[in-house]
Amino acid sequence: MDESEDVPKDFIKLKSEKLSVDEVSELVVSPYCGAVSLFIGTTRNNFEGKKVIHLEYEAYTSMAETEIKKICRDVRQKWPSVKHIAVHHRLGVVPITEASVIIAVSSPHRAESLEAVMYCINTLKASVPIWKKEIYEDKYSWKENKECFWANSEK
Amino acid sequence: QVSVLYFARSAELAGRRSETLSVPRHITSLQLWEEIVKAHPRLAVIRDQVVFAVRQEYVLLGDQLLVLQPGDEVAIIPPISGG
Repeated sequence: MDESEDVPKDFIKLKSEKLSVDEVSELVVSPYCGAVSLFIGTTRNNFEGKKVIHLEYEAYTSMAETEIKKICRDVRQKWPSVKHIAVHHRLGVVPITEASVIIAVSSPHRAESLEAVMYCINTLKASVPIWKKEIYEDKYSWKENKECFWANSEK
Repeated sequence: QVSVLYFARSAELAGRRSETLSVPRHITSLQLWEEIVKAHPRLAVIRDQVVFAVRQEYVLLGDQLLVLQPGDEVAIIPPISGG
């Protein structure tokens, strides 16, 4: 295909099934790009000495998708050579070591896609209405990202 | 009549995920919060940690005057933890 047919695309999905790194990378691969950069957020098995059994995610889905689209738009303004962007976030129960979020970005050269991926995950944590509950052996806790400006700073 | 959506801890405290609420068309975000707390007093404990999303735009609790239309979505947004 010539490059005018390889129109830059955003692939945004919130789903409860297991995420696939292969699937997300394949979405952004392009013959015009020499770089695909990836971030995978996985669930840790501990927090402050407590054993985490699993995580549960919920989202204000329609607004979350809109906010992720805004992040993609910002990425393209900051790094115009970025080709495709994919953001997949899992909802519902996520077992330990499985991925809760996968972000992939393609660009002709590596600097832009590496920076864009970092920007995506940092901004997602600050602005996308998704919540995580950590389930411990004896109780649970709603987490708060430090990037969230309306969380109490002493938490 | 607006649609109020509850998420995460606010859904647990209110005991529901959504409901319709009758409020004045012109109301500040703080007044709107106070109306909601009248209906669900247990929400008062999270007052300092939430923002609203009105028609999917974030709004802080304060003097900001909202102009609400029938059917508008107003969501209570506790501190987020995506990613």
